Amino acid sequence: MLLVLEQILWTGFANATFYVLFTIAFAIILKVVRLWNFAQAGMMGIAFYTMYAMVNLLNWPGWLALVLGMTATVGAGLLIELYGLRPLRRRHSSSLMFFIYTLIFSELISYVLMLLFGTEPVTLFPSILSPVRIIGGIAVSDWDLTAVSATAVSLLVLWLFLRFHRDGQFLLAVSDNGELAELYGISAQRAYLVAMAIAGVFACEGMYLFGTRAGVLPTTANDLMLFAVIGTLLGGMGRLFAAAAAAVVLALVQSYSVLVIASKWQSLVLYTFLFIVIVLFPRGFRLPSLQRRRVVQPAVTEAKA
Amino acid sequence: MTEVIRLESVHKRFGGVVVADDINLSLAKGEILGLIGPNGAGKTSLFNLISGVVPLDAGRIFLGGRRIDRMPLYRRARAGVSRTWQHMRLFHTMTTMDNMLVAPRVCHGESLTRVLFSPGATSREQKDLRERARRLLRRLELDDVTDKLVSELPFGQQKLIGLARALMHGGDCLLLDEPMAGVEGRVYETMQSVVREEATAGRAVCVVEHNISFIKDLCNRAVFMANGRIVQTGTVDELLGSSVLAELYFGA
Amino acid sequence: MDYIYSILVLAGIYLALSASFDLIIGYGGLISIAHPIFYAIGAYTAGLLAVSWHVPALPATLCGGVLAMIASVAMSLPAIRVAGDYLLIASIGFQLGLLQVIKNVQFTGGDAGLSNIPSAIDGPFRSHVFAAISLVLGLAVVLLIRWIVRGPYGAIITAMRDDELALLALGRNVTRIKVVILALGSGLAGCAGGVYTFYYQYLNPSQFDVLQSATILTMVVVGGMGTSLGPMIGTVLLLGLPQAITFLHLPPSIMAPFQGILFCLLVLLFIQLRPQGIIAARRPQT
Repeated sequence: MLLVLEQILWTGFANATFYVLFTIAFAIILKVVRLWNFAQAGMMGIAFYTMYAMVNLLNWPGWLALVLGMTATVGAGLLIELYGLRPLRRRHSSSLMFFIYTLIFSELISYVLMLLFGTEPVTLFPSILSPVRIIGGIAVSDWDLTAVSATAVSLLVLWLFLRFHRDGQFLLAVSDNGELAELYGISAQRAYLVAMAIAGVFACEGMYLFGTRAGVLPTTANDLMLFAVIGTLLGGMGRLFAAAAAAVVLALVQSYSVLVIASKWQSLVLYTFLFIVIVLFPRGFRLPSLQRRRVVQPAVTEAKA
Repeated sequence: MTEVIRLESVHKRFGGVVVADDINLSLAKGEILGLIGPNGAGKTSLFNLISGVVPLDAGRIFLGGRRIDRMPLYRRARAGVSRTWQHMRLFHTMTTMDNMLVAPRVCHGESLTRVLFSPGATSREQKDLRERARRLLRRLELDDVTDKLVSELPFGQQKLIGLARALMHGGDCLLLDEPMAGVEGRVYETMQSVVREEATAGRAVCVVEHNISFIKDLCNRAVFMANGRIVQTGTVDELLGSSVLAELYFGA
Repeated sequence: MDYIYSILVLAGIYLALSASFDLIIGYGGLISIAHPIFYAIGAYTAGLLAVSWHVPALPATLCGGVLAMIASVAMSLPAIRVAGDYLLIASIGFQLGLLQVIKNVQFTGGDAGLSNIPSAIDGPFRSHVFAAISLVLGLAVVLLIRWIVRGPYGAIITAMRDDELALLALGRNVTRIKVVILALGSGLAGCAGGVYTFYYQYLNPSQFDVLQSATILTMVVVGGMGTSLGPMIGTVLLLGLPQAITFLHLPPSIMAPFQGILFCLLVLLFIQLRPQGIIAARRPQT
């Protein structure tokens, strides 16, 4: 029995990888651009189907498809920012307009994908099986190892970027106080573009991992987004790596719940979680540790929804 | 009791900055208290603490003997705290009259069930409110802009509307946040006389101001704040005569 | 001929849905995508009451509306109390989660849907009567909202949109106002659900999914938020366009996404070029 639990732990952990990537993509836009980026579902759709087309229609190798997929996704993100969000921002549009824009964008993409690729689930490569070896009694597949190492490396690179690279530091400055950053000559516009680019890279990476593991439909991204949203909320707005950790916890909770709950109720577990988070931990789950800075909470909060 | 509002050991910090350090203050009916001090002294923060925009870290606030520091913003307003804002915060897509109509402490129009199921009582109340608003606007010489959009009016008139709205609200405690900033001449005089009338009628008024002559003309008592602390209280002349204050205010 | 009357029934329902959604997002400025689920709650409640307990149509519909109202309070109260943004997230969770429940639970008929709902009206003029009822309901919703918004409550809603903090400082309980607006809008959507139930006599969960949110959103945004005429224009557009497209004689697998693309492009176009919608509200909305 213990072995089963350990197996679930490992597999759940490996499957958490793409959730972590989606969560980071969502969380970084929320942090820097202060936007609930529902257009991410559209970006994820573009990512997967671009790669899918390259592998299956053009017969190009996987790595090339990944690179080009990332380019396409980043491109889409930049276009969204430049031609969608920036004009809205310039016009001082309400949060409602931003929300409608991002939501409808994703809807548009899923309809276009439905038109182009139909409604049958497809995987990136014809086979989703990968060689498995037994380590300590647990089945560990090559996919598992690739996923975990790729995600870990990506998180490390992101952390280094935010910590040591100028653009990364600018991102943090803008997320902290956009107006103040402008006074110091830091371009908020540039920071938004960089954040979108990062979101694009992570979203595409996540879709590559997911798509080599399970079937994808034009509407799949919408379901995957739920994790990203809950993870971001649970981690607390503005805390990227806490959100990533939260995504892992959620994935594990979902994995273990298979033991007690029928699979058709799986997603309900998530929604219930979402509600609990909103009611009990609206500002994220905080461990009672030393706070570096206490954020001033105004009576009316403002973020573009 | 004649005491309208009382602060006991009020304390608040934002991050590393203490904006209110063991504040003890009280205001009686008919008093006009001036709150002066350099920028960043914590004056507006004090107003925010009293009205409930931010919660206290420690201490207590009493309004007419009732403890209000645990109440949410809107409850405190209903209990009788009226205020104006540094940046006015008028309802910019509405007319002057409409700004006034949503202001009273208690109004039927706020309850949808009352609007739907007692239309008669609601329209009667609206009539009364309109009358009251008209009288107030007349006192502030705003009667000719009653149906104009507030965003189209000049700055001085907007400030007066902010005051009118707070008076329409009708709380016993009136907090005025830099009412004179950017205002002069006719508007200045009107504001002064109206505030004096309100105090005579029994309201407790506290004014944050940088305009020293306004404070001198209007206030019977003043409080000097710096770095979140009350440094000195007394009559305006006493405060202005103090050398310690001059140093704090004009010195480094 | 019957076909035209069923379009009219849909017109009335969509009018009620778009006008009530406009109350929430256009006048109230609240961001929620959960409208279809309240429509669903109304529809399923009415249907289940009729099927299991033979409750006649009118009380069943009213119960549906009331239950939708209660459900909306359950969703909005915890979220709004925290801060405005969380309403959106709560609404997503509610819309998607409750739909999952409906899809998987036995007594709603699950994925297969709820059928054999007794008809409220029989006879050769069934469609005509339903069309009349539906249109009257739609218009009633529009007029009710118009009346509310022009009265003292409307001034408070506008003030809330202009400066929430200032309104709080005048003693208005903004949380309660938001919850009430949502409850009213959701209740009206629930009633519309009842009309649907008794006309079509069959309910399927796919009727009420997130795609419906986009549809209703389109009607409101393109028609014009915060107006009485806007939802009407939006409804005509939304019912008219698919009819126009059928003339292109596209295969059904292409029709649905094509229609979706058209609507999305319409919304995106309007947001960029004319965010106030076809009928612009007298007061600035965006």
